[in-house]
Parts: sequence; structure tokens; C-alpha cells
Amino acid sequence: MKMADITDDILSASDDDESQVVTAAEVLLKIESLWRTERLSPTLECHQSELVDCMLDQITQMNNNLRRCKKTDLRLAIHRMELERVRYVVASYLRCRLLKIERFTHYLLEKHGELDDPSLALLSPQELDYAKSYAQSIESHFNKLVLRHITHEKLAEFDAKKMSVVPNMNGYVFLKVLKDSPGVLISDQVGENADEEVDLVAGDQHLMMYSSIQELLKSGHVELI
Amino acid sequence: MLGDKAFSLIQELDRSQHGTLPPFNEDAVRQALEEIDSLFQQNVADINHLAEDDALVAGIHLRHAALERNKRCLLAYLYNRLERLRTMRWQLGSVLPSDVRTNLCEPELEWFAQYSSTVARYMRSLGDGQGLDLTVDLKPPKNLYIEVRCLQDYGEFELEEGEVVLLSKDSTHFLPMEHCQHLIRQGVLQHVK
Amino acid sequence: MFVTNIIKEFYDCISGKRVLVLVHSDLDAICSGKILQALFRADHILYTLCPVLTLSDLLTAVKSHKEQISSIILINCGGTLDLVEFLELPPHIKVFLADTHRPLHVCNIYSDDQIRILGQLDDDEEVPAFGDVFRDDETSESEEEDEDGVSRISESRLEKQRERRLWEQKRNKLLFDYSQFSYFAGSTATLMFELAWKLSKDTSDLLWLAIVSLSGEQLCSIREQHKLALCAADLNTHVARLHHTNHTDTTEPAADTITFQKDVQLSLYRHWSLVESMRHSPLTATSLKLWTHKGEKKMFELLAELGLPLTECRQLFCGMDVKLRSELPTLLEGKADKYGLGGLVTPSFSRSHVFHSRCSASDFAHAALALLEPPSTDGLSMSHAFLDASDCLNGSTVFAKGIASARKQLEAVYRQMQTFLDMNQVISAGPFLYATVLQGSPLAAFMSGPHVLGALGRFTLGAHVSASRNKKARSLPLVLTTPDSSQPQDWCLVCGIPPLADTSHRNFFGKAFEQAVSKTQSRAQLEFFDSHVIRLHVEDRSKFFDALISLLS
Repeated sequence: MKMADITDDILSASDDDESQVVTAAEVLLKIESLWRTERLSPTLECHQSELVDCMLDQITQMNNNLRRCKKTDLRLAIHRMELERVRYVVASYLRCRLLKIERFTHYLLEKHGELDDPSLALLSPQELDYAKSYAQSIESHFNKLVLRHITHEKLAEFDAKKMSVVPNMNGYVFLKVLKDSPGVLISDQVGENADEEVDLVAGDQHLMMYSSIQELLKSGHVELI
Repeated sequence: MLGDKAFSLIQELDRSQHGTLPPFNEDAVRQALEEIDSLFQQNVADINHLAEDDALVAGIHLRHAALERNKRCLLAYLYNRLERLRTMRWQLGSVLPSDVRTNLCEPELEWFAQYSSTVARYMRSLGDGQGLDLTVDLKPPKNLYIEVRCLQDYGEFELEEGEVVLLSKDSTHFLPMEHCQHLIRQGVLQHVK
Repeated sequence: MFVTNIIKEFYDCISGKRVLVLVHSDLDAICSGKILQALFRADHILYTLCPVLTLSDLLTAVKSHKEQISSIILINCGGTLDLVEFLELPPHIKVFLADTHRPLHVCNIYSDDQIRILGQLDDDEEVPAFGDVFRDDETSESEEEDEDGVSRISESRLEKQRERRLWEQKRNKLLFDYSQFSYFAGSTATLMFELAWKLSKDTSDLLWLAIVSLSGEQLCSIREQHKLALCAADLNTHVARLHHTNHTDTTEPAADTITFQKDVQLSLYRHWSLVESMRHSPLTATSLKLWTHKGEKKMFELLAELGLPLTECRQLFCGMDVKLRSELPTLLEGKADKYGLGGLVTPSFSRSHVFHSRCSASDFAHAALALLEPPSTDGLSMSHAFLDASDCLNGSTVFAKGIASARKQLEAVYRQMQTFLDMNQVISAGPFLYATVLQGSPLAAFMSGPHVLGALGRFTLGAHVSASRNKKARSLPLVLTTPDSSQPQDWCLVCGIPPLADTSHRNFFGKAFEQAVSKTQSRAQLEFFDSHVIRLHVEDRSKFFDALISLLS
């Protein structure tokens, strides 16, 4: 991938000799696939804030290196363009997540509260903070303008359960199978007790319900396209 | 008809163009709330008389349904206005143009300020406290530099490397993309294709 | 100093820095500016571009940007001034000058390094030698004289003083002769295109800009015909080269072609009807005297002889019969001499895109010039008009607007000329002819800038000469006044047109106006870069003209 080569180039030109477990190119590839998945999935995916922080750090480092270069070099313009594009990918990824957080605020906060395993957390600490203040601001706005004036006690409550938006887990997504996954259960939608079991072969592409392949997506057996 | 006022709010919002906010219709909101109140009072009165007359149950249910509907319409109206405000924050930046501000009520302005600061706080916290401005680069960048025309006398404008550019009306400039984006959104500069 | 290697001494010096480009408000400068902009965009050179019309505009622009910029490029402005003194430039700022206005100021030519002139002097231009204009030992002489308390006047010192006085007299005369006539040199747009060619960044778009600039020069007839023809031939070789490199496969129709072929030289005839176009073109109007009844009849006679039905000629050109349209150049060429219309069908440049109609370069020139000087009733500022004209050259909706404005402008010029001649308002003031556009006339709004004034003057002079029985009329110049659009009560614009008989296109009015103003202490602003146009206070008009008459007789 050209972008990855160039970023590798820039890093090798720098004086940094920290041995990095993951190279810049690999981080970039991961970020790109995260971006794709996030945009295509109907719900919020698990957060990868360490990866994002790492990428941002790399961008700053590369920027500093470039600043030291001679100004009229043509390669400078190309490298800077690549950096701009990388920055765009990261920003788009984070914006997409923010949009979903704002739409599914209460659902996500509830889910977050239920989770035991911190490694499966959907929201990063900053995002959690953001979600909480956003929910609170909406609620207080409603209270101020409408709910305060309703004298009926029960009615004046802000019933999060009834009013929050829930992501459509049954939305269809295109997917590509990376590893063989036998025995995927597709639950019945029509009510005819017609649950199916499908074997997914590596290299195939399918259109299926998100709920059926959610676990496989998390484990990396399939990817969204 | 019960629930008409609240529904008219929804209609008004639906008929307005996406991306704009009609003025906050305080009167209709107030009337809808009053309707809720009066329905509730009627219901309370009826519940007290329920023991005498069973046929009132239907009326109570009807009014309660109307109450819920009114509440739902009102909340939907508020929420959709907030959605549009939110879009404006991402498109126009944290300062709203004055013609939009006149259409908002006080709580909405407060909410906007609070939302802006929440977003700003989040953006600052990214990258281990380094911060990343998410409001730029809404489209994939195509060029490092763009040609812009200045639409009004803006004065001096500093670029990253310390260079200062004087932006006077009807002058044409060729500047780095990242610096121009904010000014283009504010309407000071115009991108020349 | 003149720049010999334009890439090393100009382009490489500005790479990597930010430049200020000041462009004069005329067609040639706009085209050059656009070519430079294209080059800068390709090389990521940051620039700021400001239009200027008058000397005060230039001074304000430089003053406000002085602190932030280290290189300034002046296009078609400032060549005739002592730049270092006028702009009060600090020594670290470099100025690159590309100006067609001549004569260039000697201080700019002999500047050490700060002022660099792009372009070359023509062979027939003569510049006073350095020794004749500058003298090193001037200051030392005066110091010696001051230090001595006792005036010991020795022989050698007297001799030196006399010699110095003689030298100064000779110097003043040389400078006066040098700056007496103002004229124009080769177009800056061609220079910029050649720069693009040397940098291997030339495209047919840039070439087209140079061609439009050349057409503008032909329209305003600011240079001799043979020089313009040479330039056209040069540009044609570029056309052939670019056409060849782009389309080596000749079977495929080219998407965008520029051709140099025989074309009818009627203003905007493709966007107008044939009759209207003939009426408003200076060449046909003056030869056939189309403002008179007889003239109109003659025109219809010509059209009848050519076999063009009158109904066809009265409708829009694009609505005419296809056969007639394609045969028009050959038909006209055959009958041109009989009606005294020599030079009606000459080769000129035109461009066509696939599926679009062919447009000639002079159409673009007309449109841009009309947008550059909109009628004062529109209320557009100079810089806004500049941007409109600049956009028009890209060919889009603004171009259509430009063509409409050009038509209106040509009609206004024609009607004004007709008024002058019908009312006998072209008065002979002895050594020159003289005409005034009356304040309050609806046509005065259109005569708001130097170019349209020049066009009106040339049209009027040509018409008057062809109508007048006076044999001397050909050798008389014309002075035209019109109310100034910004303050019509108090100020007027005065424009001087050289006589028709003078083919050298050298205009002496710049110097003449300057001297008349200083002699009579009139309130005047000599602030245009085209020195033959000045702004004069209305009350001083009569004494100014008296002084002018005595100067020129």
C-alpha cells in the first residue's frame, strides 16, 4: 500500500530509534479497517483508543520531521498530502463514533453499565465522559422546557427506556469471510421456526443480518465491506 | 381536535428546510402544555367520579392517550431542533451567525454553548491530551494549498510559520488549506475553482 | 536592471517564498496575472494578488503589505516611475517589474539589484547611457564648496562648475527627449507564456490567454501593425507545436483546438446580427459612414452584392443559414476593396471546443474589456470589475455576461460618436480637435474608464476624418473629455488620441498634459499608468486647454 510505504519512509528518516512492536504501516492499516467497519456497522464497535492515540502520535512525529525538510522539495508536498489524508481518516473515524454515541446515548450507557470485562468496552473513557454529559444536557433541556411544566408526576419523568434510540441489530451488512466459520446461526425473522445454520467459507462474500455475525466480527473471522 | 397544537409544531418543523431553524414557537408549546394540563385536570376530576359512572373509563383512556401524544410531540419537536443545532455546530463552528441566534430560545442557546464545550473538551482530550480538531477536514483533502478570494476586509491573518497575510477586499490569495477552512466557513474567504 | 536568465534570476528567487503580485487593471495584465497564477499553483508558491488602477492604489497596496513580503511582482504598472523613491522601498525587498508601458524610468533600468525588469528592450528603443544620466562626483563637488569659508575661486573649480552645468543641461534635455513620447512594448502575457514554456509548463489554456492579450492590443491599436503581425506569427508557431504534441493521431477530432485562419474583423459578429456588427465596428462604420443615410444604403448595397438576404443579416448570426455563414469570409474578401474595406478579412485566432461554437480571441478581449469598465450606474468597485473580467476569460456564464456588456458598450460608443458628428461637436482648437461628452447625458455613464475613452476617441477621430473635407484632418490629434464617474460635478477625465497619420503609435499627450498642468497650476491628478489620460478639475478646464493650445502650436 503506497500510503503505508511512505509513512514507513518518513519514520525511517527520523532519528527515533525506539523499537516499536507495531510499525506505523500496520497501525495505519488497522485504523483504515476500523474506519471501514465503524462506518458500515449499524451499532458502535468496541473502542480502540490506544491505537488512535498511537496514530495521532505518529502523525505529530512525522509532521515535526517534515518541518525540518527543505521547503521546495517535491517529496515534501507528497508526504504532507499523505499526512493530511491520514489525519482525515482518523478524524472521520472519530466523528462517526461521536455521531453514533449521540444517537444511541442511553442504550450505550446502559450497555456500558452492564459490562464486566473492560477490554470489551464500547466506549473509551473520554467517550464515556462525552456520552454522559450529552445525555445529561438533553435531559436537562427537556426538563427545562417541557417536563417541568407537566403536573402529572409519572408523565413528567424522562423515561429513557421508552425514548432512547436503539441501534438496529437486524440491519443487513455486506461481509467478507476471512476464516472458515462453520455453524453460524441465522435466527428466524418471519416466525416460521425456520432457523438456519450456515457454514461460512473463507473468501466468500455474503449479505447477512448484523446480529448473526456480530461475534464473528469481534473475533476477526469476518470483515465488513 | 385534541393534540392538534402539538402536531402543528411537528408540521412546522417538517415543512421548514433542512439545515435551517424556524423561530422557536413558544406560543404553540405553551398551548400544548396547557392542553396537557387541562386534560390532566379533567382526568383527575373524572377519576374521582369513576366510582359513580363506569362509562367515564373510556374518556379517561382517551385523554391519557392524548396526553402521552402531546408529550411525545413536544419532546420530538425539541429533540429535532437540537439535532439541527448540532449539525450547525459541526458545519459552522462554535459561533452561530446572528440570524440563526434570533430564532433560538434561551435554553437552546445554553444547550448549544454546553454542547460546544463538551465537544471541545472531547477534542482536547484526544491523543493523550494533544488534541485533534475534528471539525476540519469534513471532506477528504484534495490539495495542500487552495486559491481563495477575500470577500470582506478582514485584516491581518497569521499562518503557521509566523507569516502574516493581509486580507483586503477583492484580493486573491494562494494559501495552505488548513488555515483557510475556518475562514471559508465564516464567509470571509471564497474558494475559487 | 534587465533580467537575462528569467528562470534563474526571477523564478528561482521567488520559489519557497510568499510574493505580492500587483496587477494593473487592463487586459494584458489580467492575462499575464492568470498565467503567473497557474505557474505558482503548480509550484506551490504562495501569493497574494491585488488589482491596482492608479498610482495611489499602487502606493497603498505596497505600504500595507510591505512588512510581510520580501518580493513584489508588478505587472504593467510602475515601469515609468522611480520605484525605489515612489514606494519608499526598504533595501531587502526585491521588485520584479514586467511592464509594457514605455519609456521605462532610467532609475529602474540602472538599478543595481533591487528592481529587476523582466523582458527585453526592443531594437528601436533608445535609452540614455548611464554616464549621461548619473554622475558620481556630484556630492563631493558640493561638499568642497561648502567647507570653504573663504570663496577661493580658482580656475579649475570654475571650469568644473561650468562643465557640471553643461552636463546637467544636456542630461535634462536627454531625459526630456527620452520621456516625451509614451508608447507600448511587447505584451507581458507573451513574456509570461514564454516563461511557462521555458519551465515546460505551457498548456493551450495559457497560450490562449497570451492570444487574447494580443487581440486586445490589436483592438486598442497600441502598437504598430507589423509588430503585432510578428507576435501573431510567433504565437502561431506555439499553437502548431502544442497541437502537434497533444494530437499526434490526426484521425481523432481534437477536443480543444486553436486555429489561426482568415476571419472577418467585425466586432462580436458571432454573438450579434451581421447588420448590427457592421454598424458598430470601427472599420466598417468609418469607411462606409454608417451614421449617415447614404452610408446605410451603401451597406445594404454591399450586402445585396454579396448575395446575403437582408432578413438573414438582421437576425442573430447563429441563426443565419449555415452555407452563408461559412462562405462569409470569402464573399467579403472579394468585395472588400471595392468599398474601401481593406483589412476586413485577415487571419486571426479562434478557439473551439468539441460541441461548442467557435469563439474568436477578439470576442474574449471585447468581453473582458467591457467587464473591466462597467457603466458607473452599476456601482461596482474597480476590484470587483477586475475579478469579473478575470473570471470571464475562463469562459463560462460570466463570459456570456461579458458579451452582453460588450454589446452595450459598443452601442453606447457608437451613439456617442454619432452625437458628436451629427451635432458638430468635434471642434477644431487649432493644433488639435476637441470633443466633450456632456455631463448628464445617459451615455456618459458608459465612458467611465481609460480604455473605453480611448475606444471612443479613436472611433470619433476616424469617423471625423472620413467625414471631413479638410485635408489636414488626418494629422490632427483629438482631445476628449468626459465627466468623471465618481464625482461628475467637479472632476472630468481628459484623454489624448494621437493623429491618424502618425503610424508610430507614440503618444505625446502624457508629457503635454503634465506641462500644461504645471504651467497653469490646475488641479489635476496625473495618476493613471496610461499617461495620456488624466483627471482634471472642471473649473480649470478652460485655462488648461488654453495652455495646451499654446504648447502644441
